[in-house]
Formats: sequence, C-alpha cells, structure tokens
Amino acid sequence: MPDQLFIANAVLSLASGLVALLVSYTAFKHNRLVESGILRFVSFGFMLLGMGLLLQGSLITLLALDVGRIADRAALVYVASLIYLVLQLVAYSAFAVGYARGAYGRKALAFLSVVVVSKSELLLGTYVNAVTQLGSVMLLGFVVFQGILVYTRTRNRVSLLVLMGFALILVAHSLTMLASVLVSGLLYLAAGSVQFAGFLALLLFLIRSGHIGSATEEQK
Amino acid sequence: MAQPQKNRSRIRIYADILASIETEGNAKLTRVLYRANLSYDRLVRYLDELVERKLIQEVRSDDNRYYVITEGGKEFLREVAKAESFLSGFGLSL
Repeated sequence: MPDQLFIANAVLSLASGLVALLVSYTAFKHNRLVESGILRFVSFGFMLLGMGLLLQGSLITLLALDVGRIADRAALVYVASLIYLVLQLVAYSAFAVGYARGAYGRKALAFLSVVVVSKSELLLGTYVNAVTQLGSVMLLGFVVFQGILVYTRTRNRVSLLVLMGFALILVAHSLTMLASVLVSGLLYLAAGSVQFAGFLALLLFLIRSGHIGSATEEQK
Repeated sequence: MAQPQKNRSRIRIYADILASIETEGNAKLTRVLYRANLSYDRLVRYLDELVERKLIQEVRSDDNRYYVITEGGKEFLREVAKAESFLSGFGLSL
C-alpha cells in the first residue's frame, strides 16, 4: 500500500478513536447520574475501542513514516497489532454483553462468555487477524440486531444514529476481512472510511442528543 | 438494550418534581403533589432531599409554604434531559 493510503487510514483511525473516547466519556458522565450497569459496559467498550483505534492509528503512522526504523521491528509491530485486535474484541464483547443484559437478562451472559473465551483461546493460533475480525463481526452482528430491535420500538433519531454507527462499523470489519483475503490496499482504505463514517454517525448522535453544541428537539 | 417497564427511579422522580415546580413557578405543595403523582409522605421526603441538595428553595410567607426551583435545579433538569436522550439511543430509560 502506498504511504498516502497508509497515512489516510491512520488519520481516519485517529479521528474515529477520538470520537469513541468522546462517547465513552459521555456514557461515563451520565452513569454517575443514573448509575446504570449497561452504561458502564457502553463506557468501558468505547474506551477500549478508542484506545485501540488510537494505537492502530499511531502504529500505521509510525510504519508509514518508518520512524525509528519500526518496520524492521516485526515483533513490536506484531504485539502492538495484537493488543489493538484484543482491545477491539473485548470492546465489542462489552457492547454485546451490555445489550444482552438489557434484552435478555443475565441468562444470556453465560452463552456470550463462552463465545468470547473460545475466541480468546484461538488468538494463540496462526490466523490471529482473521479470527479476531470474525469474532468482531459476530459480536457486532448481535449488537446491530439488538440496535434494530431498539429502533423499531423507539423510532427515534438518536437510536437510528446509534444503529447506523454500529452497522457501518460491522460493514467496515467485513470489508477488512475481505481486504485481508484479497490483499487489497484500496479495500483496506475503504474499510477505514466506512468505519470512520460509523463513528461520524456516533458523533452526530452526540450532537443531536445535545452533548455537543446547542440543545435539540430530542431534549425538549 | 430494551428494558421492561419498571418503577420510577429516584432520578426520574426528582426530575418530575423539579419539572412540576419549574412549570408552576411558585409551587404550592398540593400542586406538586398533584403533578408529581406521589403520596404525601414520599413527596415531603423527596422535597426535603431536594432542598438539602439546593435544587429547590422552600419559601414561607404568612401561612403559605411554596417551592421555587434554583439555578442548580434547572441545571439538573438540563443534565437529566441530556442523559435521557443519550440513554434512548441505546434503548434505555431513566
């Protein structure tokens, strides 16, 4: 992949990471007021996702600019990538557990924890990236399904924006898997762009719900 | 994250009382009682808590006792509105 594509992807990852941290902070702030267990999962999940995206963005930037000849340090790059992938997987697990608790109560947790543990064991294998992407797609699929249920019940714009955010991130992970299979740099950039669009939807959600800028109709 | 309908949370009750006082301006106890849909004992307890938290002010004149919302109370209502909007994005409510 040419350096420009690397840099473009890094910028998208860094921007997405900042939005994720903003959502995490907002959920944390509201959790102090309403003390909801589910909000704790949302805050924790977005915090991990934000940290992971910032790590990924920084790593891609360092690789593209070859700062300190980092490209030669394969072990360091591998460990950083692994940390990012695990953070991502744990973050999506947190969202899935949060949604499962809200929708089905604690019974659903047993099933989800088995899925997560089995995926973690597979991390030690060779196909780390493919397995974590597949795990992310499965967990996000569940989250998007719950998001659809929430939207069909509430029919409000803020839940639609959250649904769009998660759905676009799901599409981005599917594209990343495809990019790995086809070894396509352009497809990889497309995945980064779609993921960024997902985080833009989440940013719009924060704006519409009055957390950034002036009050909106949802508040009235 | 769909949630079954449950009893009003403490925050929800605080918000309902504050909103009724804000709407009334100088709110008499009976008006708040009617709007907040609470028993007398519970309402008095919640009003004491809100006064303690400086979200409302108790004003006595002659034989009358009424309540007014403070700036802190208005700010609290704004925060609750934002929290409600954020929560609804995930299918949650207060």
